[in-house]
Amino acid sequence: MSQRAEAAGSIYDLGYRHYDGVRLGRRQSFLSLYAYSLRGAFGLGRRTTSKVIPVAVVLLAAAPTLAQLAIAAISPVDARIIEPANYFDFVQVTLAIFCAAVAPELFARDQRMRTLPLYFARGLRRDDYTIAKLAALATALLFITLLPQLVLFIGNGLAGSDLAGYAKDHWMELPQVVVSGVIVAVFFACISAAIGSQTPRRAYSTVAIIAVLILTSVVAAVIADTVGGVTLKIVVLLVPFEAATGVIRWIFNASVARETNLGKSGLDLWICFPAVLTVTAITAWLTFRRFRRLDV
Amino acid sequence: MNDTIVRLTARQLFGQKRTLFIALLVAIPVLFAILFRLNSENTDAMDWVTNVLFVRVLVGSLLPFVALIFGTAALGTEFEDGTAVYLLSKPVPRWKIVASKLVVAWAATALFVLVASVVSAPIALQGSGVDGSSMVTGFIVAEVVAAFAYCAVFLALSILTAHALLVGLLYVFIWEAVLTRLFSGLKYLSIREYSVALAHWIGAIPNVIIDPQVSGATAAVLLVVISVGSVGLAVRWLGRWQIGETA
Repeated sequence: MSQRAEAAGSIYDLGYRHYDGVRLGRRQSFLSLYAYSLRGAFGLGRRTTSKVIPVAVVLLAAAPTLAQLAIAAISPVDARIIEPANYFDFVQVTLAIFCAAVAPELFARDQRMRTLPLYFARGLRRDDYTIAKLAALATALLFITLLPQLVLFIGNGLAGSDLAGYAKDHWMELPQVVVSGVIVAVFFACISAAIGSQTPRRAYSTVAIIAVLILTSVVAAVIADTVGGVTLKIVVLLVPFEAATGVIRWIFNASVARETNLGKSGLDLWICFPAVLTVTAITAWLTFRRFRRLDV
Repeated sequence: MNDTIVRLTARQLFGQKRTLFIALLVAIPVLFAILFRLNSENTDAMDWVTNVLFVRVLVGSLLPFVALIFGTAALGTEFEDGTAVYLLSKPVPRWKIVASKLVVAWAATALFVLVASVVSAPIALQGSGVDGSSMVTGFIVAEVVAAFAYCAVFLALSILTAHALLVGLLYVFIWEAVLTRLFSGLKYLSIREYSVALAHWIGAIPNVIIDPQVSGATAAVLLVVISVGSVGLAVRWLGRWQIGETA
């Protein structure tokens, strides 16, 4: 009531409350948007049905780790079937489906619900919005590209009788796991963000993301079988699954099997790294451009 | 069936962007066939067309993907846009709505996959001296039948959940593509496997080229069971659907 009395000089007092607290500014809105988007990626704060798919997909991506740890727990010999260098082979399809599920949720929802003007009317700038969303998606993807491997690393160490010896033998794997996991997460986040931000319709972007991530790998496989040569080399660099595999193998200093598409291409693995960086940069730029140009 | 619903759904599904996108998808196998013809000195054309073009590309990826797009969109967009209320409040029996939507989704899927098959297979076989007509016929019949089963399943799914597209993707790309390879017993529960078996049976394809785990007759029966079951469930679920329930 006292607020109401203080509101002076108004023709008609609508009774709006004034905000007298601390204004937290651009930085705080950025951090809240990041945190809110990350929670939204897993359906936290939404109804139960929105949580089912992300959680199921993350569990699916952890399945190889759980299987390996189960084997390690039961079998007496030190049997490492799933190596960190080839973990991506097991989770790539799962990762793509997670991207297709989450990217439209993060990048199209505000366009569909027409909530973007509310964000842009605040201290938050358009690029801040894009960065916060991209960071949230990349962080969410780490739950697939990094977390299972960290669990596997720790679990493998604990399963053996000699923890210190294990750590001594395999310590180099830890930075490799982290670096490759982060690169793959950012790479896939930028690709799916570039697609997911183009249309407000969830179904369209989901389908487009699957086409770009999964169907291109079918193309690579057929090209590898029928054409080969320079065509295959170019295709391999452009197909997200193949390029990502190449970078991971390069980071782990591992070879590729001859019968895989990457092996058939005969490409030097390090070339995949600049290819991945270029695609990441272009797709990130497309995402920024979309939100800069969008009329809200 | 209801003519108006069929007409409206067809106009909805054949929207410009979607048709363009699917036409691009259809161009993929045709492109493969051309590339194969240009580089096929020492490869067996019959084997390539069967195993790569049909089993892996057309039946394995394109057919389920296109069926997923049309099957979930036919009724799913009505729920998403909120127009389902107007559709369901008309005095049209629910089974007629399901039938109309399903027929359009099926026709659209079958059309695109048929065009892709009919154009790409002859290009790849041309000049190789192999008579692949029975094999191609077998696959075309199998594709049309499987398109119905896929569309029925995905249509039913789109009534059950708003996340039908994602559930369908998990089914097509994880269950059918990955898990059936790891646990071959699961091949008894995969529409893709049924369609390959059906093509193998109808097209009289030799066992050296493909050797499906399920017999042709079993596959045909299972496809019918799945289709009828999905349509039944779709009608039942649509009958119980309530406004604001899109989960």
